[in-house]
Parts: sequence; C-alpha cells; structure tokens
Amino acid sequence: MIIRKGSFICCLLILLSGCWDNKDINHRLMPVVLGITGEGDQYKAYLQVPRPESDEMGSQVIIEEGHTINQIVNKISVNMESSIDLLHIKVIIVDKELAEKGLSDLITGFMRSRDISSKALIAVSESNLDDLFSKISHYKAPEGSILLDYFEKNAGWEPQIALTRIWQVYRSIHSYTRDVAIPLVGMGDTTFLNHTGSAVIKNGKMVGRISSDETLLYNAFSGHSTNGKIEVLDDASVMILGNQLMTKNKFENDKPYLTTNISFKVMILETKNNPSAEKIKKELDKLLMGRLEGLLEKSQKNKADIFGMGQYFRKEIPRDKLKNWRSNYYLALKLDLNVEVDIQNAGNLKIPSK
Amino acid sequence: MNSLLSEIKATFKDNDDFFLMPQNIQGIDIVLMGLTSLIDLPKSIEALEDKFERNSTKKEILMRLNNNGEKKKNIAEISSSVIEGNLLVLVKSKANVVALKPIGKSLSRAVESSENEQVLQGPLVAFTEEVDISIGILRKQLPTANLLVKNYTMGRDINRKLSLLYCEGKASPKLIRAIMDKLDMSQDKEINNIQDLIKVLGLRSRSVVAPFKITELPEEAAQSLLKGKVALFLDNFPFALVLPGVIWDLFILENDRNFTYPLMLAIRLLRMVAIIVSLIVPGLYVALVAVNPEVLQIELALSIAQSREGVPYPAFVEMLFMLIIMEFIIEGSIRLPKSIGPTITMVGGIIIGQAVVEAKLVSNILIIFLAAATIANSTVIGFQNAAFIRLFKYIILILAAIYGVLGVLAGIFLIGAHLASIQVFGISYLSNNLKKEGEKNG
Amino acid sequence: MDKSIQITVFYILTHMGLIFFLYPANIIESTTAAHWIPICIGLFVHILIVIIYLTGLQFFPHKDLVSIYTASGATMTFLFLLPVGVYFLMINIIAVRAYSEIIMIIFLSKTPLWAIMGLLLFSATYLAYKGLKAIFQTGLILAILVLPLILFTIVVSFQNVDWRYIYPIWNDDFSFFNKSVYYKSFFAIGGSFLFLGFVHPVLPYRPKMVLLSVIAILPLFLISVYVPIMTFGQATSSNFLFPYVMTVDAIQLSWLMFNRVTMFFLLGLVIFITLFMALVLWKTARIMHAFLPLRNQGLLVILLAIFIFSCALFISDWKEIEMIFGWNTPLRFYVVFGVPLSVLILGLRQTKGETTP
Repeated sequence: MIIRKGSFICCLLILLSGCWDNKDINHRLMPVVLGITGEGDQYKAYLQVPRPESDEMGSQVIIEEGHTINQIVNKISVNMESSIDLLHIKVIIVDKELAEKGLSDLITGFMRSRDISSKALIAVSESNLDDLFSKISHYKAPEGSILLDYFEKNAGWEPQIALTRIWQVYRSIHSYTRDVAIPLVGMGDTTFLNHTGSAVIKNGKMVGRISSDETLLYNAFSGHSTNGKIEVLDDASVMILGNQLMTKNKFENDKPYLTTNISFKVMILETKNNPSAEKIKKELDKLLMGRLEGLLEKSQKNKADIFGMGQYFRKEIPRDKLKNWRSNYYLALKLDLNVEVDIQNAGNLKIPSK
Repeated sequence: MNSLLSEIKATFKDNDDFFLMPQNIQGIDIVLMGLTSLIDLPKSIEALEDKFERNSTKKEILMRLNNNGEKKKNIAEISSSVIEGNLLVLVKSKANVVALKPIGKSLSRAVESSENEQVLQGPLVAFTEEVDISIGILRKQLPTANLLVKNYTMGRDINRKLSLLYCEGKASPKLIRAIMDKLDMSQDKEINNIQDLIKVLGLRSRSVVAPFKITELPEEAAQSLLKGKVALFLDNFPFALVLPGVIWDLFILENDRNFTYPLMLAIRLLRMVAIIVSLIVPGLYVALVAVNPEVLQIELALSIAQSREGVPYPAFVEMLFMLIIMEFIIEGSIRLPKSIGPTITMVGGIIIGQAVVEAKLVSNILIIFLAAATIANSTVIGFQNAAFIRLFKYIILILAAIYGVLGVLAGIFLIGAHLASIQVFGISYLSNNLKKEGEKNG
Repeated sequence: MDKSIQITVFYILTHMGLIFFLYPANIIESTTAAHWIPICIGLFVHILIVIIYLTGLQFFPHKDLVSIYTASGATMTFLFLLPVGVYFLMINIIAVRAYSEIIMIIFLSKTPLWAIMGLLLFSATYLAYKGLKAIFQTGLILAILVLPLILFTIVVSFQNVDWRYIYPIWNDDFSFFNKSVYYKSFFAIGGSFLFLGFVHPVLPYRPKMVLLSVIAILPLFLISVYVPIMTFGQATSSNFLFPYVMTVDAIQLSWLMFNRVTMFFLLGLVIFITLFMALVLWKTARIMHAFLPLRNQGLLVILLAIFIFSCALFISDWKEIEMIFGWNTPLRFYVVFGVPLSVLILGLRQTKGETTP
C-alpha cells in the first residue's frame, strides 16, 4: 500500500514539474472591463487591467484588433509579460454602432467559451471608446475600475440604471417573448460617466432608446427595487420608497389584454407653495402614468417587448404561435394601466391633506 | 552448594551493582544477593533482621524464610529474579535460594497532574509509569466490580508487564476474546514500544492513523471503558491505550460532558470545523492562487495578486516552504527544554510574522492562511491525531497544486476512503455505535 | 446490523451526480413544453423497477446478484450476468471519459485530459480496492462534508427564476417517445439502482428506507430540468450542453467570498460520481470474479481500472462519447428491465419449488 502510495506521489511530482503550467495569480492579467467596437469587419477590444502597485491599485488599458475576441486576447497574451484571464471581466462596454449592427455573435461567443463570466454586465457607450478608455485609468478604485462601482448594486448603482447581464441578453436573443434594455452611457464633463438612458435590444440588436426616467419604470416592471429615486414634480419633489406590481391578464378573440396596477410608496421631501397631499398624489400619478404609456407606445413601435409582457400569456398562447408574439400579439396588446401613489410619510413636517 | 554460588558470581561478574553479602542470623550462614541499584540495602537488611532476630529457633527461621519468599532452583530463574529487583537469600546449609521482596529504591515518580493533556475543569490526576498505580487510579475513577483486569508478562528475554482492562457487560466479548487470543499467541514476543504492541495485536503497522486513543487522563479512559472500549496499560508507559480508536477521538473529549450540553456541542463542532480547516486551507490557497483564481471575488483576487507581487516562486513551493518551517518550529519546541523553549517561539514568530514577508519571500496573505491552518490543527485532540492530520494536508496540497479545487475535493475523497478502510478488530474507524458494531464483527 | 442510512445516503448521492449534468439537456431536447410529462414517466418507471427489484431480492436475503444468477444455472449466468458486467464496464468507461471532458470544458481547460481521467480513476480504484464497506462509509463522510454545499447551491439556483416560464403545463405531443435523446435520459434514471442487489449480504438494509430515498430524489429530477427552463426559457436552454450548470453560473451572490458557486457545486457532484464509479468498478470486479475466480478480487479491480483507462484514452471527442452512449442505450434497457424482472421471477420460482414438494 505504502509503496503504491509512494509511487503515486512520485508520479504526481513528475506531473508537477511542468507538463502543463498553472500560472499564479500574480502572473495573470485580470481585466475587469472589456470595451468592444467594430472596425470594418474586425473587432477592436479595449481591456482595462488593474495593476497592483506598491500601495494602491493602478490600472492599464490594452488595445488590440482582431477578427474574434479570442484572437485579440491571444495577440495580447503574446505581447504581454503575463497571460490574460478574462474570467474576472465584470463590465462589457459596446460601441453604439456595433450595438446597432448586432451583438448576437459576440454574446453567443461569450456564452460558449465560458472565458467570460455570464454574469458580466453589459452597457452601450455613446462616446467614442478611445476617449472613454483613455480617461478611465485616471480614476482609481479599489476594485480596479471605476466602472465596476458604477454598476455595482451595493455601491454606485441607482434605480434608473438598467442592470442587464450577458446571460439575460443571450436569453433575449432566443426568447420569443422577452427583450432587454441595457444602460447607455456617455462621457461626462465633470463626472466620469454620464448616464443617458437605456438601449433597447431586440434579438441582439439595438433598436431604440429609452430615457433614464423610463428605465426606472422598466426596472420596476422587471422586479428591481426602485428605492431612493427622487421624482421632481411641479409642486414638490418626492422620494420613492418602494413599489409593487400587480398584473392580470386576459386573452380574448386572439387579443391579449393586460391590467396592471403599479403602486409606489413615496415620501415627500420638498414642496413649493404648500400643496396638499392629494395634489401631489395626483400630479405624481399623472406623471408616472404618462411616462409609462409613452414607454409602452415606444416599445410597441419598436416591436421590442422589454417588459416581458408576453410572459403573462404563456399559458394562453400555444408555443408555435407564441413565436410570433412580437410581430402579431404584442402590437395588439391592450394595456390597462393604473398607477397608485401612496404617500407613506411627509418627513418631519405636517402636510395639509386636502 | 558452592557451585551454585560460583555460577551466580560468574553470571553477574560484569555487573558492578551486583552484591554478594554473607550474613549470619541466629547462627545461620546466609548470603544475600541482589542489585544495589534496585534495592535499598541497609533498610532491607534491617527489616530482615527485625523479622528473624527475636527468639526464634533455627528451624522456625528457615520455615519463615521459605514462607515469605519464593524458592528458586536453577540459575535462569535466579538471574531473572535478580533483574526484577528481588533480594535473594542463599542458605548455605541447604542448597536453595529464596527470593524475597525487599524495600526497593523509589524509582518511580509520584502521582502527578497530567503533562501532555491539559484539563479544564476535570480531574487532574494522570497515569504513571507503574502499571499497578495506573490501574489503581483507574479503579478509583471507576469504582465498579465490573472493571476486570487481566495481566500479561510479555517477552522472553525482556519482560514487560501488560494489563488489559475492560468493563464486563459493556465491552463486546468477541472484541475481548480477539485481543486476548492475540496476546496469548505472542506471549514470548518482546514489546519495547507501541509499534511492537501494534504488531503483537496484529494491526496494520504501516497505517498512518493510530489504531488506539492514547490518553493519560483517567477520566477519558474510564468513560471509554464504559462505552465498551478496552484499555491496555504497558509497564513504564504512563498512558492508557484505548482500543479501538475511532474518528470521534479527534474531536470528542469526555471532559466536555462536564460543561453544559449546548456548550459541549459548540465546542465539538468547533473542533470538527478546525480539522477541516487545517486539512484543506493550505491546499485551497494553492488551488485558488495558482489554478482557479476565477473563483475568488475580484477584490480578493487583486489583493492576493498585490501581496504576491515580487514573490519569486509558485504558490505551491511558497506554501510548502512555509509549512515545512512551521513543522520545524513545532518539532523544535517539543525538543527544546522548557527554559529555552520560548526562544523558538520568539524566533519563529519573528521569521514568520515579519521577516519572510518583508524579504518578499512569501506573501503576507499566505501567512494568514498558514497561521489559520496551524492554529486549527492544534485543536485536534491527541498529538498523534494532530500529527496525522498534519501529514494528510500535504496530500491535499499536492493534489491542489495540480488540479486546483478538484484536487482539494479529490484529496478529501482519498482521505475519506483511507479512513473508511481502517478496521481495528473488525470495528470500522468511522463507526459511531461501538456496541452494535462490536457484537457483529468483534 | 442495519445499514439503511449508508445505503440511503449513497443512493441519493450517486443519483445527484448522475442527474445534474446530462439529464436536463436530454429532457429539454426531447420535448418543447410540459417537461414534467417525460420526467414523470421516467420517474414512474424508476419507482416501478426499484420496487420489483427489491421484492425480487427479498427472496434471497443472503445472496447477492452474482450468486443468485450463478446458482440458477449457466443459461441465466450468460443471459443476465454477462450483459450486466458488460453494461457496468461501459458505464465506467463512459463516466470516466464524459466527466473528465465536462471538467475540462467547465474549468480546467489547460489540464490534459489523461491527467483528469487518471485522477478520477485512481480515486475510484483506490476506494474500490478497499472494498464495499469502505465505499459506503466514504459516501457517508462525503455526504456530511459536501452535501450541505450542494443543497445550498440548489436553493440559491432559484435566484433568477421566472415562474411564468412554467407554462404551458400541458402538451399533447408525445413525440419524445420517438426520440433517442429521451432514452438517453435513462442514464440517470436507471443508472445506479442495481447496486441494491450487490450489497445486502454485507450491508443489510430495510427496503422501506430505500423507497424513502427514491422519493427524496424525485424533486431533484424536476429541479434539474425546471430551474434552467424557468431561468432561461425553453428556447434558450435547449442550446446548452449543461443547462443546470449554466443556471448555477448565472447566480450572483455579492456577499459570498467566492465568485463562482458553480465550481464547488460541480466538483462536489464530480466527487459523487467518483464514488459511483468506485462502486461500479467494484461491482464489475465482483461479476468478473464469478467467471475468473482469482484469489484476490482487489487485483481484478486494478486490472479493470487499467483496462478502462486505456479504453477511455481511445475516445477522442464528445461526438464519440455520445455515440457510445447511444450504443449503450439498448443494453441499458435490457439490463434495467431484465435484471429486476428476472430476479423477481427466480425468486417466485424458488418459493414455489420450496413449497410444492
């Protein structure tokens, strides 16, 4: 037994001596942000790599071109002193032009190779990536990139930013009933980034855009919390404390009907001219209602079901017909929207109820 | 007559502590023999004279002498009796030698509190080298008529006393039978150490895991006996060898029962976690740093990468290097006398805590993992058990260096398989109900 | 002495290892909606054959499968024991090769295949060499150490679930019966239960406890298929080779020290599979022992392991694995149905033979 064990350990030691090499963590470059633009029929990739320096975290941007992402990574690996490990990429930024051309191949490639985590967030940049990445390394963050904090739910994320991961985009490419919105960013003047709304992605292509206020409603619809968002009205500004969604669906005469109740709980922060609670409520009601209807209209025009409303009709519509949800049923969808606003409290001061 | 005397003389002629002392008690010529190193001679002679001097006839004295001692005939018996420390009386008129129990030199230490195992809120007495005293201590701890003792004298040339203790009605008869058979069979084999004993008992001598629990605390031994185990005492070995050993010995101490029940559970759970930590932490570190860094959160990955910046060799070598130094420190602190022991701790602390990191030989995060593993290892009960856990972690370390996290789990699998395959007298190392198992396999 | 717990735990562990990798993809590929119908048909078959098998085995309380068949004459031996042996051998080759490939695809892309196969096979051989008792006790240890991790992952895998994907509930289309993919899913369903016939002389168990463990694993079959469907939807998850793995990959837990829960989940399952391989290896050796009575059964285990390793080296890609998987399917059905039924019939015949004269 011992002899067998001993010979086994000897074998292991022979193996250890380097049949294949496992590289230690400090010899791997672990980029956290990947930027991609199309350049002709080639991709141009930007990798932001955090670089541990003596007492703080610096970073470096590597730019390379190639026909596929893997080719690019390979090229970089050859040129760099360490090997590249894409597994830690957290944010992928895509050029707007590329997004409009279509992301399907890119996303499918990510899902296939497992090199890039399917949990990575994706965003579309309206600014030139060259400018963006030349600026990015001036901002230092402990995780290696300021962009990470921007989207991190427990750091800089705000409810009006869409939070969409690679696997969700991949799902939307194949799904019959669901499209996604991904955040649109541009370069800021004084801040690093400027959030400009969300891009509507349908079958892997960017087909439209919604504003950042509308993204809030998108988030509310997809079940994210909207806590903390401040809405400014004519007479007051309020903070949303919570939201709840109730839907009922009906399918008659080959036409889908949806009744949706969204209730928001708000807290009053500032007022002008001392309005009554009722008035604020009404005003907010009208604002949100108008915004929602506009959003729906817009997405119906794009034939992109970012709310996943088709999901509600999975029971009623047979699968072979559900395939045509976006082109047939979605346009015919009648939505009965009710927004309910509940003023949970008015802060430290009293407010007239009527 | 004189031939016997000269024969004895010839046997011990190279032993300078052997004495021959002609005496005359009440007109009887006798010769006293023995080893000065074992017999307190003046006291013994005094006692002898006390016994026989007063108003006794020659015949009475001779009779008493025969009643008090054992008659020894041939030279072999005589010499072994001398070695055992008896006082031999040769009566010149008769051709016989009588062995008496003299007043011996006090060569064994007194009953003291335990040295190797620390006791918190429990009986402090520990077993001693003298088998009889140890058995006595155990009897005091376990005052029951069911505690049975069987004595053996093992070895042909070198005699060693061995005692087998068990509780009747608790230990399975089959287990006791099996042990007794083994001992009877190899009465003439010499037992100089525990390895010999393992061989005599017919257990696997190459196994890393000790087949019994070794304890110097009577409470542990007594409770184990009540659970149906068997204790062996070896002469001049101040520990009870509790047979069969099971995995629970690693983290269950009978003294825990002197705390409240929830506390006991918490303490035992802590020890279990500690064993797992000390087994896998070094391997896991290497796996995560060298093979599967994608498992770590990015913040952690970056800070490890930062701490490893400038370390000249791979994580496996780094870990192995520090682990071996750690083993040196542990071994060194056992070896050194108590008065200079702290030096090692200090030197070790400086090396591990400061210098190695500052010299960029290893990363400081590794030191944390190393310390965690070492500290966790010290919670294991019993030095031998801690030692085999220490050894097993290298298997996991090597596998982890090749296969990453898969290697860690494969290591656990192999260690589990090894432990599962250990059987002591048909009782599996992992069994939790000794009585049931014993009945079936014993 | 009753060893029901060891048997129960082992039953659950090996099935876990078999379920979560290939089974979901097979089921999702075989039908487009109402996946519970094919799953439940499979489960029904599973329960049925286990009950038949257990009833049959009760006629032979002190005999294992090998001695049952050898005692019933040479025809029975060649009709059943030989196919079972070949089936086990094939299962072992497939398992070693397929799971090494899975490990390579998922996380050790740089490690050569032979090294991974070597590790898995070495671990399995070591354990099989140690014998039956050691195998089941190791199962218990692994359950204590690894099972909590796996259960945790199963629970958190519901993180991204959208319950509306469950619809449509009903589907009239039973075309999955015509698809070979569906029959491949019986790898998980009929893969492991045969061991019940090998262990009872050494490790006696109560059949009731085994049925309990059968019930315990039923939800796992449903979870393994429905969690990916509810996360990704049918259309998307049908593109995946390992749908459940992809689902676990999408779990985001920021409070955990580790980024990829998948790794621990998968490796835990791989370890369970190694356990399964150890047992199959032991069973194969046991059957071979009936034909080739060497003094040392352990030697047979080692020889078998070498044979399996060299066979697995000859399989060059995933396509070939699937092909051998396909070849194995008819044999699997023959064994999975033939063995329980034949044991039951032999048992009934034996009691009749005892009572009539």
